[in-house]
Amino acid sequence: MTGVISGGGQWAYVVAAYGLAALLTGAVIWHSWRAMTKAERRSDALRKDRK
Amino acid sequence: MHAYANPARFLAIARPLTPWLLGLGTALLVVGAWAGLVLVPGDYKQGETARILYVHVPSAWLGMGGWTGLAVAGLVQLVWRHPLAGIAARAIAVPGMLFTALCLATGSIWGKPTWGTWWEWDGRMTSMLILLFLYAGFIALTKGEEGGRQGWALPRGAAVYALVGAVNIPIINRSVVWWNSLHQGPSITMRGSSIDGALLWPLGLTLLGFSLLFGAIVLMRMRRIIADNRVTARLQRMADEEV
Repeated sequence: MTGVISGGGQWAYVVAAYGLAALLTGAVIWHSWRAMTKAERRSDALRKDRK
Repeated sequence: MHAYANPARFLAIARPLTPWLLGLGTALLVVGAWAGLVLVPGDYKQGETARILYVHVPSAWLGMGGWTGLAVAGLVQLVWRHPLAGIAARAIAVPGMLFTALCLATGSIWGKPTWGTWWEWDGRMTSMLILLFLYAGFIALTKGEEGGRQGWALPRGAAVYALVGAVNIPIINRSVVWWNSLHQGPSITMRGSSIDGALLWPLGLTLLGFSLLFGAIVLMRMRRIIADNRVTARLQRMADEEV
């Protein structure tokens, strides 16, 4: 096996990569969902007010 | 394509599609990540760090694919003035930048135990970093998703910038062939894959899972921009009526 760190020490890097991917992807999904629902609620409320 | 130029028609498709993309994307990603972490064996050369492949490659694919989508949207706006093109480009920019940053970060995390360094100024990493800066420049040029007084359309300069920036995509793709690099050469080409099938199949799942989630994120951000623009237009009409 090549690489400067081998064996069990490699798992810390794997966990860091997966953790970062989950955190960033989850954050952008949550932010996009929240912003979308808030904007659509506001738009719907304004449309109903106008009727 | 022009049939869907109408935001109302687009919303009729996007609203039911968003939860499907979110659900299916998450399911594929969970199964793919579980397989990548638990089911498949470590690589005979790189050991356990090769498992980073299953999040690193989809991030690179989406960073580059995002800019390709942005360039196509810029072209569509310049040529056909399609009303959704500007909205799509604005919606792609932030997640595209995020996945480019994730690609650089996971590559760096992979590089340290494998090469002994977090970073190397070689062709692949430098051209990917340039892509990150290109995204930042596009967001600054378009004032993000708010758009300020620009409304839905992209400024002409931003659309041209998206097209010119697309030159970097083939450079990223060919960088490991053109220049000496610590980064490995292309593993998956049109002629096949140098990765063994036993390690390859979870990559298909995470690639598809991340792509579906990217689609869901872009749809949610497009829906938000359309809703915000409708609110602005209605408030403007109400103000005009009061005058």
